[in-house]
Amino acid sequence: MSEYLLRAVDIVKTFAGVKALQGVSLDIRPGEIHCLAGENGCGKSTLIKVISGVYQPDSGYIEFNGQRYTSITPRESIAMGIQVIYQDFSIFPNLTVMENLAFNTELAAGHKFVNRRRMKEIAREALSKINFNVALDRLVGTLTVAEKQMVAICRALMFDAKLIIMDEPTTALTRKEVSALFEIILKLKAQGIAILFVSHKLNEVFEISERFTIFRSGQLIATGNTQDLDDKKFTYYMTGREFENVKFKPSFEADKPVLTVKNLTVPGAFEDVSFDLAPGQILGITGLLDSGRTELSLALFGLRKTSGGEILMKGQKVEISSPRDAIAAGIGLVPEDRLSEGLFLPQPISDNIVISEIDELAGALSVVDSKRRQAEVDKWVKDLAIATPNPDNACTTLSGGNQQRIVLAKWLACKPDVLILNGPTVGVDIGSKHDIHAILQRLANQGMAVIIISDDLPEILENCSDLLVMRAGLIVARLDPTTTDEALVLQHMM
Amino acid sequence: MKKVIALIVAALMLLTCVSALAEGFEIVVVPKDASNPWFVRMNTGVEEYAKAHPEDTIYQKGTPEIDPTLQYQLVMDLVAQGVDAICVVPVDLESIEPALKAAREAGIVVIAHEGAALQNVDYDIEAFNNELYGAFIMDNLAAAMGEEGLYTTMVADLTNGSHNEWADGGVKRATEAYPNMKLLESDPRVESHDNGDTAYNVAKELFKKYPDLKGIMGTSSFDAPGVARAIEELGLSGKVFTAGTGMPGDNAELLKSGAVQYLTLWDPALAGQAMVALAQKLLNNEEITAPVNLGVEGYEALEFKAGSETVLEGQGWITITADNVDSFGF
Amino acid sequence: MKSIRKFTGRVEFYIGLVFIALCLLIQVRSGQFFTSNNIVDILSALVVPGIFAIGEFMVIVSGGFDVSFPALASLSAFATTKLFLDMNYQGSALVPLLVAIAIGAVLGALNGLFIGYFELPAMIVTLGTSSVFKGFMQGTLDSKQLATIPQGMRDFGTSALFVAKNATSGLTSRMPMTFICFVAVLAVAWFILNRTMFGRGIYAVGGNAVSAHRAGFNVKRTRFFMFIFVGMISALAGMCRTCMMQQMHPTNMLGMEMNIIAGVVLGGTAVVGGSGTLLGCMLGTALIVVVENSMILIGIPTVWKDFFVGALIIIGTGISAMRVYIANKPGANSLRKEAVK
Repeated sequence: MSEYLLRAVDIVKTFAGVKALQGVSLDIRPGEIHCLAGENGCGKSTLIKVISGVYQPDSGYIEFNGQRYTSITPRESIAMGIQVIYQDFSIFPNLTVMENLAFNTELAAGHKFVNRRRMKEIAREALSKINFNVALDRLVGTLTVAEKQMVAICRALMFDAKLIIMDEPTTALTRKEVSALFEIILKLKAQGIAILFVSHKLNEVFEISERFTIFRSGQLIATGNTQDLDDKKFTYYMTGREFENVKFKPSFEADKPVLTVKNLTVPGAFEDVSFDLAPGQILGITGLLDSGRTELSLALFGLRKTSGGEILMKGQKVEISSPRDAIAAGIGLVPEDRLSEGLFLPQPISDNIVISEIDELAGALSVVDSKRRQAEVDKWVKDLAIATPNPDNACTTLSGGNQQRIVLAKWLACKPDVLILNGPTVGVDIGSKHDIHAILQRLANQGMAVIIISDDLPEILENCSDLLVMRAGLIVARLDPTTTDEALVLQHMM
Repeated sequence: MKKVIALIVAALMLLTCVSALAEGFEIVVVPKDASNPWFVRMNTGVEEYAKAHPEDTIYQKGTPEIDPTLQYQLVMDLVAQGVDAICVVPVDLESIEPALKAAREAGIVVIAHEGAALQNVDYDIEAFNNELYGAFIMDNLAAAMGEEGLYTTMVADLTNGSHNEWADGGVKRATEAYPNMKLLESDPRVESHDNGDTAYNVAKELFKKYPDLKGIMGTSSFDAPGVARAIEELGLSGKVFTAGTGMPGDNAELLKSGAVQYLTLWDPALAGQAMVALAQKLLNNEEITAPVNLGVEGYEALEFKAGSETVLEGQGWITITADNVDSFGF
Repeated sequence: MKSIRKFTGRVEFYIGLVFIALCLLIQVRSGQFFTSNNIVDILSALVVPGIFAIGEFMVIVSGGFDVSFPALASLSAFATTKLFLDMNYQGSALVPLLVAIAIGAVLGALNGLFIGYFELPAMIVTLGTSSVFKGFMQGTLDSKQLATIPQGMRDFGTSALFVAKNATSGLTSRMPMTFICFVAVLAVAWFILNRTMFGRGIYAVGGNAVSAHRAGFNVKRTRFFMFIFVGMISALAGMCRTCMMQQMHPTNMLGMEMNIIAGVVLGGTAVVGGSGTLLGCMLGTALIVVVENSMILIGIPTVWKDFFVGALIIIGTGISAMRVYIANKPGANSLRKEAVK
């Protein structure tokens, strides 16, 4: 018996002349938790598809349990005991838990008719594998993301799995749910099942994995034991760049607050929220998903109707009942889901940048001054180092990090006094994350007031000068980031 | 000098004649649709007429379904083609008007049938005076009902021109001549949408809601046969009655079984021929003065409708009974 | 208790309430709704729309829309009737029914080929085939109304399962033999959708086609065979209609698709596919049929009929939409302020 459960050796895969994988290798031992990391486009997904038989490699081979294959089909892959849990979980939201769990087994067995008793048995057995408790007749669409993931895991276990590949499994999970998932993963490991955990989140890699492999641009950069890895090395392997984490030190002097919030309430979301914010400060607001933190940002931008309290800008009371009011008052918002709320994805990058200052660029007869527009676009593309060959390309052509910079550029272009960012680096690669943090710190030091809403605690602690913790719609603590650690913040959040 | 003018005039006349002979006029008949047997029969008449008048290009062209939009489109297409005359049986008066206006502006002769209220036509030919035809249907219904009892009227659509005029004429006749017949005030006019199944279901509903209802006056050729099906099924044969327009071929069995006593009709083949004949007269610059003789049976002495300068009315109605139903050949 | 709440939380429950309310309204206005012959009339009027709705339901559940079934039914029924008229057929209706169903299967396979195997959007494909079917019928077959139909078909269309007689008015209504076709199609469709992996595959494809493929469903084949089945039952509906009317009018059925789709959606079938029940589909369709056939009984003037039918569709869908809205309304869970302090 070989030391390794699975070995992918010197795999090369080319798409239309572009080498997605340039001879990478990956070794997984039986029952180990292995983390595959790398930034978007590094070849992680391509390798998974080669292992699961979706793609055939151009060269290289795969060894499973000591047996060598030059290529495998999806069916063979499943028969060997390889199961992939995709990011979308491949579930049917419209069907019951029972059907979601039993379909694969029933179809594999070639059954033509529905036998509810048999399906129930299959489903019960699947759930028992990880002691997951959920009513079999519930529609999967009504479950939480974490529960859906559990359903997908249970289903994967039905095929006598020896290796489970999880593609970015923590993306949409809350902190608590991630902990629960990690417990499950440890349970599976105890049953001798190997896990290939695909992620680009540093803390998760450290927390769960025993060994790691990092890809960059289709090449193997490093592989080894996680305990030999540290923060700096990880970032370097991922990006090929060295970063220094700069703790934010406010340098802009101001005595009067620019924004004052008094007893603000949105029924059902949050109550009685009060704080003030001076120019040059970065205020962090954190809390669990249902703490009301997102609703607070939306209310400040006029997207939620408030039932009480007031908002003052520079000491003047302002009525904010629409984004238009907010922009006029000098408040900008970079929303949580930039893809659906912040950008006009199919539109050119340049138009996206100037959209919120379009009124200012318009000259006589409301016609946009094209020279001024071009100057403005060039300035921001340069300032924020947006990596694009041509600002007139569509936003969809950019990576997540660059898209986020455009959303930033869009708001900076109209020079707000207060800029609110909700989850500014969610789904953004490490390099861009550092860049965005640096930009935010620079903006604060130039006199802008910034609010970062995030549950990425290192991000908050590193970049904020002040921190509010929300729980169940209330502000439960105001902390000084310089004297606080993650554990203390977590205590207040839970 | 006079000689020269006479010569020129003669030459011109000859030229016109020759060109007319060589090219002829293109006269198109546009029915409500192409598959309804009524218009299939009309087509038979038009084809017969075309054969007898080879000097002109005469044909019928219908839309696949009864649909005002399609008909509008078809007429607009013909205008674009530059035909010489359009003879139309409109589906919906309001929607066809703009197309007819465009046709007339393009110098095309427009003749209508069953469209007395149309504005943009040269002439509209009615097989008969609509009011009198309605009265004629009512006479048949009254005979079946024994000249007494509650009745109502059915039309294809409330927007349909002729059907409503017939129904009005029928009601007027009943009021004047049959004092013991009473119009159903709460539902005086119902719709069948030119659909036998709808007529059948609507009739069933009427008989359920109004147990006293004794007769339904139909107008569309789907009405009376559909109503008759309901009468038969509900077990009301001999107790309630219907009369209205209907094709002999389609309804032979209903007439023979006694579900319907009388159907009234004019011959669409002759109506089609009359339209074409009138169009020819206009294209040949003949003067139209009443009584107009088109040389088509029932259309030998057309009179202008009272108060109208465009609507000409013939005397083309007939009654179909179990006895004569097989003698029409259509 | 739990099962009661589960039941009242379903769209079918609300559409059922609307349905009952409407029936009561008709009863109050006319005193005629809950009479044996009226109920038979309604059921008999439900046969054709009911079968069509079952087919449309399957297509919508699979994530598409079918607007070709009236044309498909017309073509199948017309071609069959004409064929058997021309050969002066004297046998029972069974053979013509089977022939029509076979034609329907072929035409449905055409839809299935484009939608299943070439993966084109169902709405666009069926818009196209709808025109092709109509064109073929009117052009190639030169369709005209057929005033008579073969004797066997006529007998089938006019024979009664039983005759309901209203004791007070003496009116009689036939429950047509074709009602058996409707019940049979309903039973077969129910079995397929709920008891076969093929049927569950239709739901799975409508829920998430990519997941269905990964789970091991043959997505293309599922769509293909589903459209064949839909073609077969649509053709059967066309024949039922022809037999019941005792004549074949080639264009009378065209245009029915809008009310059928409205009925299916009214019954809680999700327009994005994946969810809905046959019970809801039947309730929605029955609601439309009852409304269409009860305007006079309620006493709605003819001019207001279309308005009223439209309003009812909006109210019906509105009530179920409202239910979803209330369930998702922010603030449904009140704050746990006390727990925090």
